[in-house]
Amino acid sequence: MKKFIIFLTSFFALLASPVFAGGHGVTKVALVPGGPHPYFAAWEQAGLDAVEDFGLGKADYRVPAEWDLSQQNELIESLVGQGYNAVLVFPGDAVGTNKILGELDDAGIPTAALAGCVEQPTQAKFCFGTDTGHSAYLGTKELIKALGGKGKIAHFTGFLVDPNTTLRINAVEQAVSEAGGGVEIIQVIADIDAYEPADEKINAFMAAQGSEVDGIVTTAWVPAVVAAQALTNMGDKRIKMVGIDHDEVVLKAIKDGYVHGTMLQNPYGQGYIGSYVMDKVRQGCEFKADAPWKSTAQTDQFIDSGTVFVDISDVDTYVMAMRGISLEILETFDSTYLNCPS
Amino acid sequence: MSALLKKDWFGLGLVLIFGSILISLFKPAFISPFNLYVLMLSVSLMLVVAMSQMIIIAIGQMNLSVGAIGGLVAISFTGLMEVYSMSIFPAVLIGLLIGLACGFINGYITVKTGISAFIITLATLYIFKGMNLGITEAQPFYEIPEAVKFFGNAKIFGPIPYLVIIPIIITVLMWILMNRTSLGRYMLAYGNNVQSSELIGISSTKIVIYAHVISGLLAAIGGMLVVCRLQLGTPNIGDSWLLPSFAAPVIGGAILAGGKVDVIATAFGVILVSIISQALVIFKIDPFFVQIFLGFMILLAVFINRYREYREERRTKVFSDE
Repeated sequence: MKKFIIFLTSFFALLASPVFAGGHGVTKVALVPGGPHPYFAAWEQAGLDAVEDFGLGKADYRVPAEWDLSQQNELIESLVGQGYNAVLVFPGDAVGTNKILGELDDAGIPTAALAGCVEQPTQAKFCFGTDTGHSAYLGTKELIKALGGKGKIAHFTGFLVDPNTTLRINAVEQAVSEAGGGVEIIQVIADIDAYEPADEKINAFMAAQGSEVDGIVTTAWVPAVVAAQALTNMGDKRIKMVGIDHDEVVLKAIKDGYVHGTMLQNPYGQGYIGSYVMDKVRQGCEFKADAPWKSTAQTDQFIDSGTVFVDISDVDTYVMAMRGISLEILETFDSTYLNCPS
Repeated sequence: MSALLKKDWFGLGLVLIFGSILISLFKPAFISPFNLYVLMLSVSLMLVVAMSQMIIIAIGQMNLSVGAIGGLVAISFTGLMEVYSMSIFPAVLIGLLIGLACGFINGYITVKTGISAFIITLATLYIFKGMNLGITEAQPFYEIPEAVKFFGNAKIFGPIPYLVIIPIIITVLMWILMNRTSLGRYMLAYGNNVQSSELIGISSTKIVIYAHVISGLLAAIGGMLVVCRLQLGTPNIGDSWLLPSFAAPVIGGAILAGGKVDVIATAFGVILVSIISQALVIFKIDPFFVQIFLGFMILLAVFINRYREYREERRTKVFSDE
């Protein structure tokens, strides 16, 4: 009941706001991650750049105090009450987030899932994020290449309750199965998205099987950081590792030669292009019926925000690489996905 | 021997010895110097966290904010060194003061309001964690002095890490506190029966505040030790402490209602949980079944310890009947 009253208040406050008084008005985008995490930090600058480049009214990054669906929902309701009229959200729950997205849609506020998808049926206009399975597949392929097509590898990944984890495990297995029998996964360690358990389990693995393993692929942020740190501490350059994301520890380990490379995701592009598309939708653009959506386990309206492998040769210029991918997606976005009023 | 059998830690000690022998028979890598080093690191960190919770359990309360205090101190400690270029020792001192202040706030509010520490520390958990996120905006601090990194990763000799020194000192001090000082005995008396302890002149205010201050200090030390180990100050430090902080004292025979804790058994509880966690990695247990195995192994250890107590109780009863 309380949430309903908050929502109604927010809804009428929004209707009374200058945004609605003047037709479409200026677009004010709220970028809301699921909770605090360094991955999303790039959304802030992306939003600011989108305001400057596309003439948006606002594009603000607001973080829920913790990873909790109800806190995220309350934050979104509060932001709508403050006049934000488009919402980009990392779903606090792949199913549970749909409820608030439906309410926002009823109020004429467009939304999209960013960096992670919600399950269909959903009122989110689309899902824009990393194709996690594909990223894990490509990362494993890079590792296999670095190993010369043979060796024993370990896979360190994140929360088992995250549906992406299963996709990642399957993708790594697929890449290995395509290696012609020369590569074997000797262990998968999961549920290590907190630093202390990750440190304990990854180092226990290194102690027990460090001499047997030839390569490591990590498909979640914390395991990548901890594994990079472990290899650096051990001074081990024999074991090849392909990580994920752009934590300083991982990037430094690449520069120092302890990590072979990392699969970068594109959080900046997600925030930048996502804000642009929200503005377009508010201006009356609609998605084409024949738009070339990709499908994932959760949705068939998925757009890959891009992923790129970075090693020692381009680790210093990775930001430019990601911006390049973003611009590439942006250049063709309208013609590929949108029908806009002339 | 009879005296030994009565000790809470005895059964756990046996489980640890036989368990370790069994694991090393199947997987000799378990007793490799590197694995022992990793095991000691893991035990060192959780030992301090477990002691921080144990002292609150001793007075019949719970501290849900242990991890939040550790996390707040961890990022304060690293933030002071990175942002304000503070040298290590003043940063450590301020970290300890923050832990002490957090503990004092927990204890003072609990005593003065009469509200359960469970509720108070639940609230302060959010406050301390919120401060942590407000300061860091979820971004880690990376600029850690080399001396701190060295302390967290270097070895004294053989597989023994420097990091183990402080937790061992803390464990000894905690044993002395709980077994050889009037403050420790008063805490247990208070935890056993609040009314009776007050009737014999024990100050509830002092006991509760002292316990929470010590708990806050230990959580602070735990947070800084994790920074030494990880070589970064991330806002997530402490997030995973809550369950292990209760598991080790309870495995060690502590009664959650208060009045009974055993420092050595708690330490053994920490070692047991760490060994089980390591064994699951060493035996390559399927990641989707790890938690089931962990749960069963802990239950098994607790049952073995409880069976020993039961046998001891029966024997005592038979003797007294005779």
